[in-house]
Amino acid sequence: MRILGPLYMAFCAVLLALPIAVVCGAALNGGRSMFFPPRDPTLARFGEFFVSEPVWTQALLNSVVVAVGAATLAVLLAWPVAYLLWSTGSKLSRTLAALGSMPFAVPPIVFGVGLGFFWGFLGGLGTIWAGVVSHAVLLMALPLVTISIGLQSIDRSHLDAAATMGATESVTFRTVILPQTIPYTISGFFFVLVLSFNEFIVMFFVSASGFATVTLQIFNSLRNGYTPTMAVAAITFIGVSVLVFSAVARWGDLPRLMGADQSRN
Amino acid sequence: MSGLVLKGISKSFGGTRAVEQVNLIFAEGQLTALLGPSGCGKTTLLRMIAGLEAPSSGALLLGARNITDLPAHRRKFGMVFQNFALFPHLSVRENVAYSLSISGVGRSEAAERANRLLDLVQLSAFGDRRIGALSGGQRQRVAIARALAQEPEVFLLDEPMSALDAKLREEMQVELRLLQQRLGITTVVVTHDQREAMTMADSIVVMSNGRVEQVGSPQDIYHRPENAFVADFIGKANFFDGVTEAGGIRIGATHLSAKPNFVNGSPVRVAIRPERACLDDDPGENRMPAKVTFVRDLGPVREYHLETALGPMVVEYALGEGGKTLVIGDQTEVRLPPEALHVFPDPQAAVAAE
Amino acid sequence: MTAVERIAADTADRPARERLTPRRILPWLLSAVIGVLCVVPFLLVIAISFGRKIEGAAWVWDFTLENYERFFVGALWPDEVTFLYLQQLGFSFWYAVVASLLAVMTALPFTLLLTGLSRRAQAAWLAFILSSLSLSEVFIVMGWDILLSNNSGLPALFKSTGLTQWLKDVGWFQTLRDWGLASPRNVKFKTSQFATILTMSYLVWPYAVILLFPALSRLDRSQSEAARTMGAGGWTVARTVILPAIRLPLFGSTLLLFVFLLGTYVAVTVFAAPAQHTTAVAIYTNIRGANLNAPFGATQAVILLISAGVCLGLGHRLNRWAEAR
Repeated sequence: MRILGPLYMAFCAVLLALPIAVVCGAALNGGRSMFFPPRDPTLARFGEFFVSEPVWTQALLNSVVVAVGAATLAVLLAWPVAYLLWSTGSKLSRTLAALGSMPFAVPPIVFGVGLGFFWGFLGGLGTIWAGVVSHAVLLMALPLVTISIGLQSIDRSHLDAAATMGATESVTFRTVILPQTIPYTISGFFFVLVLSFNEFIVMFFVSASGFATVTLQIFNSLRNGYTPTMAVAAITFIGVSVLVFSAVARWGDLPRLMGADQSRN
Repeated sequence: MSGLVLKGISKSFGGTRAVEQVNLIFAEGQLTALLGPSGCGKTTLLRMIAGLEAPSSGALLLGARNITDLPAHRRKFGMVFQNFALFPHLSVRENVAYSLSISGVGRSEAAERANRLLDLVQLSAFGDRRIGALSGGQRQRVAIARALAQEPEVFLLDEPMSALDAKLREEMQVELRLLQQRLGITTVVVTHDQREAMTMADSIVVMSNGRVEQVGSPQDIYHRPENAFVADFIGKANFFDGVTEAGGIRIGATHLSAKPNFVNGSPVRVAIRPERACLDDDPGENRMPAKVTFVRDLGPVREYHLETALGPMVVEYALGEGGKTLVIGDQTEVRLPPEALHVFPDPQAAVAAE
Repeated sequence: MTAVERIAADTADRPARERLTPRRILPWLLSAVIGVLCVVPFLLVIAISFGRKIEGAAWVWDFTLENYERFFVGALWPDEVTFLYLQQLGFSFWYAVVASLLAVMTALPFTLLLTGLSRRAQAAWLAFILSSLSLSEVFIVMGWDILLSNNSGLPALFKSTGLTQWLKDVGWFQTLRDWGLASPRNVKFKTSQFATILTMSYLVWPYAVILLFPALSRLDRSQSEAARTMGAGGWTVARTVILPAIRLPLFGSTLLLFVFLLGTYVAVTVFAAPAQHTTAVAIYTNIRGANLNAPFGATQAVILLISAGVCLGLGHRLNRWAEAR
């Protein structure tokens, strides 16, 4: 068991990293088609992706706009729901939390179809702001969970203490609740950011070919065969994910966010 | 078979030494308490005896058999955990019969033996209950019955009373001791509570910082502490630092008569139990003036806090023992009988000398 | 303002404030926003599933069960019965069940080992797992596609290392051909159920770890230790202590992954043979693709939603049951 355990973990890690490594390697190809191992390795594809190919630079810009917009909006939507849930625990707040998590819980293709109809009626189909709102609603469940975990970690006697020292509810919120939940809010924000960056199927229905994010652009190019530029896109995305989650792991309590037992370390 | 022997057992976790060079003999059929403050290595030592932790060096012998490399499930020493670790998915009877059913004992025989054990811990009516439906004291009895079901050669208990409230704790200590004596099983109990250790143990092992400080009967440990740590940890004591000289010890400007076995001029630490110092008019050695700074009457005992030339000290009188009645501010005299003084080498000086 | 004055002022404008505090408006505002954004899209799907397609045009509102009838027994019923759409749903279920089971079974020992590590090591592993989890379906499919495609990746590797020849020599090549995993010349993973299920399983494997992590990290280690002091070896501990303790979270996680996989789109289009495509692919074809039959696409979405809802409800109930115990 002592050798077998780490061996199994290493095996899982290798298998998990395998397709990612292959994509990364393929990005270095000099030619127009994908080979692994790469032939005639070059970094020219990075230039194409970030600078010279307008198709990809526009897609990258769209992805960033959607991700940042959706993350901000999702946090703004999730905060009052989480706060209501924590402070009142009422039936209404529980219903709201359940409804807010529903889009994330069902197969995304169903919600994508629904949003396609929804924006079709409202006239937002194919506009980028519809994409932002769609992703915010789809991924709202994540900040809802992280902020709720943060609020639960607040010792309620701190609130009583603040009240005995003359703090009103809004002052308590500003001076006690907000500072203690900021790490959790930020974690939630980044979870949405990364997942929105990578989300495909909902955006596929909502964009209606009106605009393309990087994932959509890659899917569109799938039929024409792979090009190494797509692999560069993939590397960028993996890089962003690793960076974000490493930051969360470094400055936030990742095991606790994932539901680890508090009493042990 | 003749008890359990630890030879030079050490354990380090990463860079920290949890247990250092422990040599101990646990006599067959006796109850030994591992006593010490938290973090002294007593639980680690118990886990090594159980086989849940491998010693970094040293050997464990059971009788003549070397069991150092035997895994926990082959040693089958019954163990009671601090949180009892009962299985919530099994009933009380199934918990007790666990060791029997996994070793292939027939269903009806296992149930019958479980019932006998439940009888032994006075829970015969609770066999079909879920663990969640039991009180703390009942859970502890189940944990004890479960550990005894496999008829272990050694019985281990890790802080078994810490999850119980104070009143129940004292009852269970007596009950556990009676049960252990009846079964005559070699038993090791880890505790940080000296009352618990003194209630139950034939022999107490006092530990601190991963080392054994003293091994002895409860009376030995209390009346003849071998060093300042034991004198301080077990019961209460007044401490004074001084230097040995002809016929006694010099503490500041005061000379105390005593019989220290040290070369004159060695730094020493002197201890005296509060109940051994006297506030009386008997003539004798080591009398000195004292001023009463605080009086505390706890019912069975009365404490006088004094300021003397040696420094502050506490003197204790039991109810009915007589003695003067003093109030704060009174001037009196205190006597420290030479035979009641414990003299230890000064631990700080000993460290400095190393 | 002194304290007394402030109290007086408070009392004075209380009636006015009771009508319009943010505290009173907030819940209603929230309900409206969430109702519109989270609920209306689903209601639209359900409503449109009863609509009717008009040949050569779009569709109109209606209340007809034609679409549902077509889904279960085919458009030409009662003259002719086809189970094409049910078969697609069957493939959805089949891929999702096998892939989620595979993911949970392989993630379980991994997560168990993970919870035994130090807090720092756990955080590092979790960051790695989460990075892989957030990775787009598109990228994952791309990676596996390169790995499994016929003229690069593993088949090429098999050929060049002589593994193909060795397989032919020992006779296992024929077995692979029988399973559809080889062409006459070399091993072939595209298109195959093997590749589809492997990729789908890979897709949810990080989710499986994340879902199992809380339950496993709350596992009381002293229970396993107690079992060991009573004579239980490694496998006996796993069988009699660990598995019973996590039985329900294990089942709940599998259900959640299953639901998630019901909607897989990219992996199926790339790796599964057209005859073995799923409902998710059919939904796309009807709504955005060649067929342009939105009501029928909506019907299929509703059926997928109901399947998912039933499973989620079941999983939720099981998890609560587990917590209550």
